[in-house]
Amino acid sequence: MRALLKPVQRWVWGDAARRGLRLLRFSEVEADGGRDLVRAAELTSDPRLRKLYLRHAGDERRHADIFRTRALELLRAHPPAAGEAPQRDWLAPGERGLDDVEIGPGGDAPLLAFLHLSEANAARDFAVYRDAVGADDATRAVFERILRDEVFHMNYTKRELERVSPARAKGLIWRARLKRVWKAYLRFAVGLAGIIGGVILTLQYFILLPPFAWISKRAARREAQGWVELPADAGQDLRGQY
Amino acid sequence: MKILGLSCHYHDAAAALLVDGLPVAAVQEERLSRRKNDAAFPLASVEYCLDEAGLEPGDLDAVVFYERPMLKFDRVLTTLLRAFPRSYRAFPHAMKNMLGEKAWVRGIISSRLGVPGNKILFTEHHQAHAAAAFLTAPTDAAAILTADGVGEWATLTAGRGSKGAQGTTIALEREIRFPHSLGMLYSTFTAWLGFAVNEGEYKVMGLAAYGTPSMADAVRRLVPRTADGAFRLALDYFDFQGSTESSFSRRFVDLFGPPRRACDPIDLSSPAGRHYADCASSVQLVLEDILVDIARDLQRRTGLADLCFGGGVALNGVANARILRESGFERLFVPTSPGDAGCALGAALYADRIHFGNPALPFPDHGFFGPEVDGAALARIAGEDGLAVEALDDERLIARCVDELAAGKIIGWMDGRCEFGPRALGHRSLLAAPHDAAVRDRLNRDIKYREEFRPFAPVVPEEAADRYFELPPGGARLARFMSGVFPVRAEWRERLAAVTHVDGTARLQTLSRDFAPRLHALLEAYGERTGVPVLLNTSLNIAGDPIACSAAEGYSTFHRSGMDMLVAGGTLIRKRERASAPREEEYA
Repeated sequence: MRALLKPVQRWVWGDAARRGLRLLRFSEVEADGGRDLVRAAELTSDPRLRKLYLRHAGDERRHADIFRTRALELLRAHPPAAGEAPQRDWLAPGERGLDDVEIGPGGDAPLLAFLHLSEANAARDFAVYRDAVGADDATRAVFERILRDEVFHMNYTKRELERVSPARAKGLIWRARLKRVWKAYLRFAVGLAGIIGGVILTLQYFILLPPFAWISKRAARREAQGWVELPADAGQDLRGQY
Repeated sequence: MKILGLSCHYHDAAAALLVDGLPVAAVQEERLSRRKNDAAFPLASVEYCLDEAGLEPGDLDAVVFYERPMLKFDRVLTTLLRAFPRSYRAFPHAMKNMLGEKAWVRGIISSRLGVPGNKILFTEHHQAHAAAAFLTAPTDAAAILTADGVGEWATLTAGRGSKGAQGTTIALEREIRFPHSLGMLYSTFTAWLGFAVNEGEYKVMGLAAYGTPSMADAVRRLVPRTADGAFRLALDYFDFQGSTESSFSRRFVDLFGPPRRACDPIDLSSPAGRHYADCASSVQLVLEDILVDIARDLQRRTGLADLCFGGGVALNGVANARILRESGFERLFVPTSPGDAGCALGAALYADRIHFGNPALPFPDHGFFGPEVDGAALARIAGEDGLAVEALDDERLIARCVDELAAGKIIGWMDGRCEFGPRALGHRSLLAAPHDAAVRDRLNRDIKYREEFRPFAPVVPEEAADRYFELPPGGARLARFMSGVFPVRAEWRERLAAVTHVDGTARLQTLSRDFAPRLHALLEAYGERTGVPVLLNTSLNIAGDPIACSAAEGYSTFHRSGMDMLVAGGTLIRKRERASAPREEEYA
């Protein structure tokens, strides 16, 4: 799959402004990931994991800074065209890929499995992006620097998973993998439903709404501006939603 | 009676519980979920409130939601119709948004809490703001003013309230309706300046002090006054009525220039940076002028001495100070949480006092209704991480803190229950010496990770405030919840350099002994040592995080930042010279 997407990645990363916007988005994703890890550190009762999560969170914050710094360099040198927005995440996902981490009390083993999988995917993705940035040595160096941390993150999550849940480690990784697929399906389904819903609502907008819009605009013209005096009993009945 | 108030779905979800007319608990969802400005249904907050009172949902007499969802839907739909056909992109988005969850609040509350539908009540949004402002204030009769972005239709209301043996009344006598909104005006500039709406308004206010209001006439073109003393927005300059992407129009950009990209830093030495500061200063001035006019008119019409001000606009401390000075009111009350989170408490109070007609009770004059910090939990966590933990009595704790503060250290200070509202009022604070601008810079750089132009606030014992700050009559009261910005006396500015903004002002907190006794004692002791009983007081968090609530969250903030010490109750921890982190080689 990654091989098939290589031409897409070369297109995504080929343009400097687009590269800058992409890195800026990565910066936000890394910062969010760092906050999730801080939350995990706050909830865990395992002192060793607390230290590791906090260290990992610090790495994510540093990555966010690195991505942001490079993004700003690129965007200053190559301002994006007006209205150009970062690509959707599915085109070049960052560290957490397409997944959201669920942080809750008492869930270190599933969390470690999730993190291990996420870090492994991110490492593979970042390696692809590193190769897709062409002659941009500075951006390549950013990915190389971050990839080194990813190796540590992959290793510690695996080893700690085997420590806290030796019997279930492999099963938990498989479960995390399936959950990731399920979430990707849900995201796809919600996205598709959103598109279908959007089309239907847009059709309704142009077919059903015009007469109501005309009436509404006429009413708006008659409305006085400024203060509106309220009746003494306004809003006294709390039972209704209107 | 047991009444639960809720606010959610837009920003700052919260829950508040009243039992027999008094607040048992109130907390913003973000403090528990750890997601900044969490707008989701506040289940964790509800659980906390009920646990605090030892109640089950079935024990509640009423659950009160802070606005009327279908009236809001009416406003959204009407606005989209009026913007037809420009609103074709916003329409599907808004309908999915409203019809997905926001329009079905009764069913959602009923299913989430297991409360029958007939126990669920709805106040209007600005009624909740008004109640949060008036029913928490120590006054029996006051004029009421509320202003925010928008509720259902109202964006600003004016009226009066009274409490007494004959019952409680809140009469909102008139209102200004969407799309004409001071909150939307300010938020539009917030967005144009590249800050996050509903979050970055503080930054606009901070930035304003660096500029001159040279663009005030241009801003006034956006918000012309009406003959009756109100205002309207010149809608050609705005796009929030029909767009989900931008709140300002092409014409706005023609007038003020291109918006700042969020990723670009503000360089106040560059012409562009100064222009942004001038625009911030201009919109701030225009906002203040309008609010002062409206408040002055309200004072004349009601003849009352007190004003209670609620809604997100009441977080603007510079405007509040001008209202107090210029409107004719003797006292101005702004609650600890004037924004939407505070509506949870306001809605519950409105139902209790007015819908059910229960007698008005004196409301606790503080905002400490959240979870209590556990010093023992901090001691356990820090001990597990190999840090030195000290358990000290108050006298020794304060003496130690004074030593450290005087030596330029920065202390995380957690004490008792956490604040309800966006301000750290001395229970979840970062404290530092006020005299050294280098401390301020270190706080910005190593702890808060935020823009240089944002000021830090001082906290001072109420009885000493007048010596250091130019407080108008009623100023000390307004400063109780850090709701006003006042000049630092010229002779003290150098010794209060870390808390004096570029324009010579400070958003101070005046602290009475009963409000936070331990912090008051610390201020007195610090004053005895240094001659100035003032400390820098900012919220205990890192940029992007909500204010720390529990000991574990305080500890993680301490661990990740350049803070030197953390105090929770009588427990004190400090950083080791060299922290021991797990080594990578162990995992190679």
